Amino acid sequence: MTRSKREIPHYYLGTSIDLSNTLSWLQAENLKRTVADRILYSVLLLKAVALAVRQVPEMNGFWIGNESKPSDAIHVGIAISLRQGGLIAPAIHDVDKKSLDEIMISLRDLVKRVRAGVLRSSEIADATITVTSLGEQGVESVFGVIYPPQVALVGFGKIIERPWALNGMVGARPVIMASLAGDHRASDGHRGGLFLAAIARLLQEPQKL
Amino acid sequence: MSDDEIKALILGEVAKIAPEFDPLQIDPAVDLREQIDLDSMDILNLMIAIHAATGIDIPEADYPKMATLDECVAYLGAHAPR
Repeated sequence: MTRSKREIPHYYLGTSIDLSNTLSWLQAENLKRTVADRILYSVLLLKAVALAVRQVPEMNGFWIGNESKPSDAIHVGIAISLRQGGLIAPAIHDVDKKSLDEIMISLRDLVKRVRAGVLRSSEIADATITVTSLGEQGVESVFGVIYPPQVALVGFGKIIERPWALNGMVGARPVIMASLAGDHRASDGHRGGLFLAAIARLLQEPQKL
Repeated sequence: MSDDEIKALILGEVAKIAPEFDPLQIDPAVDLREQIDLDSMDILNLMIAIHAATGIDIPEADYPKMATLDECVAYLGAHAPR
């Protein structure tokens, strides 16, 4: 963390995303499923991040030896807190190519093995972008620290019901705050903004994720 | 299933999720998520374990009705096949 903050010129962006469509689709989907096959909303966030990376590829990859090395593969690291304290961010591989069910299975397996302390070294080493989600602990937004040599980290806060104006009408909507910590050597705020906008747009059509 | 059996089942699962937590310390009237720092994956695993042991498939919309240990016992008692 110290190295990250010393070497990486971070920039930060944040945006609120309306999750009404996302969550009502997920709720209907989960109603059709038995408990063992249900999907957590985090899975949709992970898939949206991975697909957004395809649109703004400089968010995905590494900064090594003074140059940007974008990665073709999209391995999303998930920041998982350890019960005994500390944090680890192992990767789910090829998230962009996996179905929501496959991501869910990978996530469940990963969390289980993190808790049990049995991870493969490749999983810890090869994330190309990281997602952190502190919403479960109740914070509204999180602005994270990039894991070097990665060049971006996406943070999600808690889903909160908020007044949301749309077409001149105000209604209550479930809203999540998404943030981006970007490495200014590999990308800039303009591209970062497009990246967050792509995540927001992808989440509006959950059936396509 | 008796109330005590339901309680034992849930505490057994909680012990697997949070082995550092002493089940005797759990206050049955306080939200389990906050008390033992459970996240949504932990809750899902708990629901899967309950389903496997009792056959009760708890719809997602009912999760909030099972926030505390007492509420879990009441909910499962009411929904258990007689």
